[in-house]
Amino acid sequence: MSARVDAISFFDALADEMNAHAERFAPLGEAEMAVVLVMGRSGGDFRVRLDFESLGCTGVVELDDTEAGGADFRLEGPLDAWQAMFDDVATNGHATGLYTINSLALMGDRIRCQGDDPMGLDKFSRFNQTLQEFFDGARHLAVGAG
Amino acid sequence: MNPYHGPCLPKGLWTLTSGPPDSYDSMVSPAENSQAITYDGLPAESPMGAPLDWAWLRGAKSEWGVHPKPSPRGLTMLDIAVGSYGDVADHPGHRSMAPRGADVGDDTADMGYILNWKTDMWSDNVTELYEEAVARQWSATRDIPWGELRELPADVEHAMCQLCTLLTEVEMIAADLPAKWMWRMNHDFIEAKMFLCTQIMDEARHAEVFRKRALANGGGLLVSRGGPTSLLRTIIEAKTYTQASALLHLLGEGFVLDIFRMGELIAPSDVEKRIFRMCMQDEARHVAYGTMHLRYAIDHDPDVAEEIHEALDHGEQVLIDFGTAPDVSTALAVLLAGGVEHVEDKGFPLSMELTKKQLTSYLARCERAGVGRLDRTSIPLDMLGIDPEPIRAASAAAR
Repeated sequence: MSARVDAISFFDALADEMNAHAERFAPLGEAEMAVVLVMGRSGGDFRVRLDFESLGCTGVVELDDTEAGGADFRLEGPLDAWQAMFDDVATNGHATGLYTINSLALMGDRIRCQGDDPMGLDKFSRFNQTLQEFFDGARHLAVGAG
Repeated sequence: MNPYHGPCLPKGLWTLTSGPPDSYDSMVSPAENSQAITYDGLPAESPMGAPLDWAWLRGAKSEWGVHPKPSPRGLTMLDIAVGSYGDVADHPGHRSMAPRGADVGDDTADMGYILNWKTDMWSDNVTELYEEAVARQWSATRDIPWGELRELPADVEHAMCQLCTLLTEVEMIAADLPAKWMWRMNHDFIEAKMFLCTQIMDEARHAEVFRKRALANGGGLLVSRGGPTSLLRTIIEAKTYTQASALLHLLGEGFVLDIFRMGELIAPSDVEKRIFRMCMQDEARHVAYGTMHLRYAIDHDPDVAEEIHEALDHGEQVLIDFGTAPDVSTALAVLLAGGVEHVEDKGFPLSMELTKKQLTSYLARCERAGVGRLDRTSIPLDMLGIDPEPIRAASAAAR
């Protein structure tokens, strides 16, 4: 059975994966950030807010399709771009090449890192390895199209 | 009976045999303590005849009875910033190495500090950043999967080695600069000094990891030219710490942070990707400190804004020379193109796009720092296609 990436259950599972494997995150150190992911799709965007505290993901909340979420930064892109990223993780065991979240956000043509406050935006860099490891947790989940 | 273990010992004072109390809530003030017990009969001289001082036991003037509560991650510097220990004076009354909050004697040595105002180096996020830095240290020896390095095409390996040569060169400036100023900072601003210590360690590790990468895959250190050096000299020779911080943290490290982000994008293998991601995290902390230090300085002393502008007027010009230095721009373009074959049709155009992003990030941080450069910068915004309006709008929204 494959999981839809534009579903709250998928991110609940990623959070469970992180919280069950603190040993993978401990060498990276604690992280404190709030991120909103926006997946553009027909019929209304999928938005989820992720809260990271210490070595875990402590909050996974679906937002309505206009809610800003008050996060440090937002990662926004069409659903197929997110799908491709998670497919790459599932195929290779971790994001590779242009599918790492930093590469995608730096290119900015598919997924963009947005935020009003440069200090919030810089948290994307300050905790980048933690965020990447979180997304790479999808290798343990079956990923499917939305 | 040993007077240290007397039955009338007030609550909150441990004995050597009884250990700490169950709760710090029972602690008492030094005044209360001194009223409760005077420790009469303690010797005035040591067995060797040296005079003894029991003031620390009889009730020093410092605060007693604090009871910080550890946060889930442990006992942090933020947790212990309670009571008077959390008060950081704008202008401490002494210039000694006495710990802030201690009962300081009149005879403590004057260390000759010249940065004695909080505005000189403080930022509101510095304690948080210190804890973050300590929690997120890593090892260039252990945490990089060096065994996974693979042979690369010669042009790509050369370009990676050239980039690593440059980064090995420039990273240590961000260690030298804090070291130049730290010993001139008043010791009451201990959290800022501690954070700068982490920055120095970070930069040592960056110099280490890029030197290792240059040598680890059959390449080596390549050329070092004058362009980067003039930027480094400008930073190290800044006349004030705040000017130095503007040049280093905001301008230089902001620029290097984006090079790291770019490095992660163009990394030819997972090894380099990991290197750049780990360095990116460290560098972003330094930028966050510098941005908020400038903000703090300007908020409390608006006159300092012009001093920062003057430093950045010169710094931006030197940075442009640095960014367009032929060996830097060509190496980045080759990596962006995946080799020399597509350097013109892919490498340079992509490099231009990323430069635009770099400078946009810098200008946005300047706004956040309170030193808006959009109307003053010498960066050719039109030529680079940078639209200042979204930066202005985001800045207004953030306020």
